[in-house]
Amino acid sequence: MNEAGLPRGFGWKGFAKQVEYFRIAIPSHAGKGLVRPMNVLPPSLENVTRPVSTALAVRLSGVTKTFGKQVAVDDLSLEVPEGSIYGFIGPNGSGKTTTIRMILHIFHPDSGAVEVLGERSTRSANDRIGYLPEERGLYKKQTVRRALGYFAALKGMGRALAKSEMERWLERMELTEHGDKKIESLSKGMAQKIQFVSAVIAKPRLLILDEPFSGLDPVNMEVIREAILDLRRQGTTVIFSTHDMGVAEKMCDRIFMIFKGRKVLDGDLKGIKAAYGTNVYHISGDGDLGFLDSLAGVEHVRDLGQVREVRYAGDSQVLLKELTSRVRVRHFEIASPSLHDIFVRIAGPQAAEVTHG
Amino acid sequence: MDKVRRVAIGEFLNAVRSKAFVMSLLALPIMAGLAVGLQIYAGKKVDMTPRKFAVVDRTGKLFEVIKTEAGERNARLGEVPAALEGLKSVLPPQPHFTPVQFDPEDRDATALELELSQRVRKKELFAFVIVGPEVFDPDAQTNQVVQYFTLTPTFNELPSWIQRTINDELRRVRLEGAGLDGGLIRKLSRGVEFDRRGLARKTSDGKVEKAKKEDKVKTILVPMVSMLLLFMIVMTSAPMLMNSVLEEKMNKVAEVLVSAVSPFELMMGKLIGCVMVSGTLSFFYLGSIFGFLAKSGLLSYVPWDLVGWFFVFQVMALFIFGSIFLAIGSACSEIRDAQSLMFPAMILVIVPMLVWLPIVQSPHSPFAVVMSLIPPFTPTLMMLRLATPAGVSWWELSLALVLTGGFMVFCVWAASKIFRVGILAQGQAPSLVRLLSWIASK
Repeated sequence: MNEAGLPRGFGWKGFAKQVEYFRIAIPSHAGKGLVRPMNVLPPSLENVTRPVSTALAVRLSGVTKTFGKQVAVDDLSLEVPEGSIYGFIGPNGSGKTTTIRMILHIFHPDSGAVEVLGERSTRSANDRIGYLPEERGLYKKQTVRRALGYFAALKGMGRALAKSEMERWLERMELTEHGDKKIESLSKGMAQKIQFVSAVIAKPRLLILDEPFSGLDPVNMEVIREAILDLRRQGTTVIFSTHDMGVAEKMCDRIFMIFKGRKVLDGDLKGIKAAYGTNVYHISGDGDLGFLDSLAGVEHVRDLGQVREVRYAGDSQVLLKELTSRVRVRHFEIASPSLHDIFVRIAGPQAAEVTHG
Repeated sequence: MDKVRRVAIGEFLNAVRSKAFVMSLLALPIMAGLAVGLQIYAGKKVDMTPRKFAVVDRTGKLFEVIKTEAGERNARLGEVPAALEGLKSVLPPQPHFTPVQFDPEDRDATALELELSQRVRKKELFAFVIVGPEVFDPDAQTNQVVQYFTLTPTFNELPSWIQRTINDELRRVRLEGAGLDGGLIRKLSRGVEFDRRGLARKTSDGKVEKAKKEDKVKTILVPMVSMLLLFMIVMTSAPMLMNSVLEEKMNKVAEVLVSAVSPFELMMGKLIGCVMVSGTLSFFYLGSIFGFLAKSGLLSYVPWDLVGWFFVFQVMALFIFGSIFLAIGSACSEIRDAQSLMFPAMILVIVPMLVWLPIVQSPHSPFAVVMSLIPPFTPTLMMLRLATPAGVSWWELSLALVLTGGFMVFCVWAASKIFRVGILAQGQAPSLVRLLSWIASK
């Protein structure tokens, strides 16, 4: 976390890289009420950008899953192109894990079709999928090598190949010397790295990671992040479920957001941000900016530390004029909305508590 | 099937490398060894202090007899009958009996009892005996009693010996008093030998095989040991499955596992792994028992024709109880919840232990037949009946195999339905009704 209470890379400097300073060109729809009613997907957002690659790692077609009377996933269609890093975001209980479990054929949909790595509605592809669930653990009494060997065997891996991959990953994670220790004797960080290795040891073509960085210190987080990016470079498709908007923004090519079982966002980050408009301003100035909340057209103000993030439904020139009339403006930036902001706009303020972005 | 094999091997290796397995492997021999060893050790730790007891002989004729007999007994101590020569080293030693005569003089009965009781309390005596004055008179109405007093009524050897010695002497004196020859009476009243045998049978080559002498070891001990062994193996192996699933749920490994193998494959792999583990256990147990018997020259007691049935019933019992315990383990998230659900299953395992005696005594009674055909009880009770000399008719065995086989398939099917839902369920354990609804779900 940085001084502003934000994750690394998502502070002022992070923003500076992402925004166009003092962009003068005002979008044609600015000032026409960009903020839509909660939870309603803007027509332009459904599959903002269609997958470029025709090869798909995952295709969900009209998938619905209910538990009793509760609809966990409602008529969901999704296409995950091969070789991409696809971020699954959504508040707790929105249907992310159910969707992942359907991709893994742990759950069967009530209706619709699930196609994974070319296999339709069967578990045949599961040996080519690596999975790291959010609630994860290992056999505490087993040694690292035995635990990894077992997971590799379950994926149908031959003993010799499993051994060489195991040693390669242990070396990469700097855990070779701990290979014969029992899992229970490892530190939390080491155990988390072993869990990651257990998901990737069988050279998966599709890797599903549910909150892979939770509880990791920055050093180990970087090790895992690099490993994920390496796997992607080698052609592995990565599905990445997270609450951490900063991580999702930095790592994912495409974002899918599910809310109350329904898809509310799907596309590449640039397209999503563009579609959500440029009604977000970053402002700083000399003097008290407490009046911002009371300005006509201001819908939301968020203190980011160095600047205030303001969502304003109106003409940017009017806002700038209003500001200059009250304080000396140091910084005025028309910014893209952050993923966090989009997330909160869709899921409501209560969802902000479960995100880190 | 390959996944099932991989899970089974993983489970087997996991189990046999654990300390719990080594403990269970050694538990039976250690417990048996301890039980026998401790008994022998305790038997040898007999208090060898001579049992000095006072005799108040109001007849004036018995003390000398008691003294003479005690002397002869003490001289014979350490001798064992030829048949028990091999067991000489383990037979418990016996203390000497030392009678002393006590003259009551003119003390009244109460004072006499009190005085001698004080001497027993002071450990001057171990006990005292008061022989009534008219014990020799068969027509006497009173004073015919012999009273024995002690602070240690649990030591039975002494009063039994005194009673036997006095009665033998009384009988001899009374018979002689009646003008009868004691030796002749003993000869005439001797019973006949009662030779207990099984049944004669015709062998396959037409020869008649004479009925064999009844052997208590074969009629009671072999069936009991066979059944107990099966019970112990089921009790050792099946609950391991429940703990294994619970551990996977508590350690959050379950979701990764079911992403790699289907819940049914996982369950079957675990069951087969459990059969492999218990097979190893029985191999070890039976091997140890056979080895011990061979060394003791008692290998003839091994019912070789039953060894195959033992493994058949073992596999059936493990599939039945293993799937029940797996279902319980998968449905719960905490050991405490699992233990409460385990109770009804444990009753099914234990019932045969409560009814085995009447069944072994009457292996063809309607009760025995019906009980041994109830599937959860069949493996242990049919094994018990098979091991009795009477055996089991072919139709009973066939029916038992069909019923138990069907029940086994049902248990595995029902458990797989519970396992499928339970393995990823978290929170409070489901009620029995909810478990049934999981079984009924599509």
